Amino acid sequence: MQAERKAGWRLQILIALVGLIILVPFAWMVATGLMTTGQTLMVPPNLIPSPPTFDGISEVFNRVPFATLLVNTIAVSFGRAMGTLVICAMAAYALAIIKVPGTSAILVGILVLIMVPGDIFIVPNFAIIASFRMTDTLVALFLPSLFDVFGVFLLYQFFRGVPRELIEAARLDGASHLRILVTIVVPVARSGILSLAILSVLSEWKDLLWPLVVNRSIDKLTLGPGLALLRGVYTTDWNVVMAAGAMAALPMVAIFLILQKQFITSFARSGLK
Amino acid sequence: MTGQILQRLPGMAMKARRAIARRSLVHRDAVVGYLLLLPLLGGLLLFRVYGFGYNIWLSFMNAGAFGAPKFAGLDNYQKLLGDTQLRVAIANTFKFAGIAVPGVILVSLALATLMQHRFRGQSAFRAIVFLPAVCLPTAAILVFGWMFQTQYGLVNSALQAIGAAPVSWFGSAAGVTVVVSLLVIYLSFSVPTIILYAGMQEISPNLYEAATLDGAGPARQFLSITLPLLTPSLFFVIITTTIGALKLFDVVYVLLPPVDHSVSLNYGFTLVYYYFYLAFLETGQRGYAAAVSLVLLVIILAVSIVLMRLQRRFVHYGEHG
Repeated sequence: MQAERKAGWRLQILIALVGLIILVPFAWMVATGLMTTGQTLMVPPNLIPSPPTFDGISEVFNRVPFATLLVNTIAVSFGRAMGTLVICAMAAYALAIIKVPGTSAILVGILVLIMVPGDIFIVPNFAIIASFRMTDTLVALFLPSLFDVFGVFLLYQFFRGVPRELIEAARLDGASHLRILVTIVVPVARSGILSLAILSVLSEWKDLLWPLVVNRSIDKLTLGPGLALLRGVYTTDWNVVMAAGAMAALPMVAIFLILQKQFITSFARSGLK
Repeated sequence: MTGQILQRLPGMAMKARRAIARRSLVHRDAVVGYLLLLPLLGGLLLFRVYGFGYNIWLSFMNAGAFGAPKFAGLDNYQKLLGDTQLRVAIANTFKFAGIAVPGVILVSLALATLMQHRFRGQSAFRAIVFLPAVCLPTAAILVFGWMFQTQYGLVNSALQAIGAAPVSWFGSAAGVTVVVSLLVIYLSFSVPTIILYAGMQEISPNLYEAATLDGAGPARQFLSITLPLLTPSLFFVIITTTIGALKLFDVVYVLLPPVDHSVSLNYGFTLVYYYFYLAFLETGQRGYAAAVSLVLLVIILAVSIVLMRLQRRFVHYGEHG
């Protein structure tokens, strides 16, 4: 560990500069969002909106159904996280704790599937969802990604670390597998569960390609693809586009600031994602 | 009756009963296990296995705008060979990855090195490093589009302020390459940074102490100790970043929307964008799109295999294996 060397003042300045550079796009997004359209068309640009106005923000609601997009995003992220957790936890229990016959073959299959890029499935998955008559529904946004092979693998590794004696003692007491899963394995492996929940929510939050493919009406989209539609149509009103971007980015940034530690651990585990 | 036998032959019977009990328990456990696996395996069978077969089947079809797909033999595969647009898409994909991946590695190595120090505002800095990974990518892409806007953009104004000529960023292959690569680097350096940071933390401080005693400076220490001992995390980060870059879609799609065909077709089409374009923006091209998706798969698998081979050759796993 080479850490804990104290930074000299030169390094301290360098670090501050790097931090500022990373923040520039965010700051410029917020600043532009608080300008009028006229203020955005200045050469050289005004760096600080004077006076700041909420025109851009209120215009966002005229251009896109922002509230609907936000509610959709929350609902879809929640559905995805819950569904993925239940499916992956059950499967990981069967593989790591019960060790059903054929476990190693299933694990190999899972590792192979992790290597295959999910993007090549958008055409068949669209055909499947269309045959269920489920296009333009919120469920369609997360249904195909519920079956998360990476998630199974992540939980499998956590579940293997659950002390065998705990499970055997519960078995002797006559507890069912489902009960052991819910009352022993999940609580012991809670940090893995939380990581998978965070990673699932984030991947749903960031997804662009699949939503654009499967849902055509804007009131059935999430924030990312919803805002993507703003571009190309209203290229001139950058204050509106930036206000929308800032408002859309805000919720996840807030959640991240609250759950920073958990996010960073999850990222470190995200591995193959 | 069982009870009578048990009384007569206690030892044998006990053994037999336990064996039967164990077998039925194992059997019942397995049944429960398969039931627990059912949702996952069912979903994978539908959305992955069937989906994969469907893609292969479709790649031999001519899926016209009307009616059922017709068998087209190897037509789609033949078309792959002469498709100049596909060549552009592949070239762009490798170009963006070729610039962005080294960029991500350099940026995250530098940040991870900085973060090894103790400094004021450490936790704030860590949070800032992660902002790009949690912000909505669409929002970040839109703000880059605005910053690089030709007339009123921040970047061109800065260039003019220092006396340089403004650049039409979205009007040339080089301009698009710069903006796309910067965006990919910006959106993807956070996770590699934390992985490399953790890797550096695992290197024993004794090594650095010994090197300092031997008179090695910081640069020499970085090259002779940090880099070689970091190769496992480094390779991991290179592989995941490369695969991510080869699947590039969101940046090019939001930055260069399909309404502006001339720009996106020439400068911005990546493999995934082209595949999406064929399958959902064109009509009657789904069969061909399926063939293109298989090209993407082959490229990603080939690159992964090459990188993993290299990993076996170059990675230093330390004395413990």
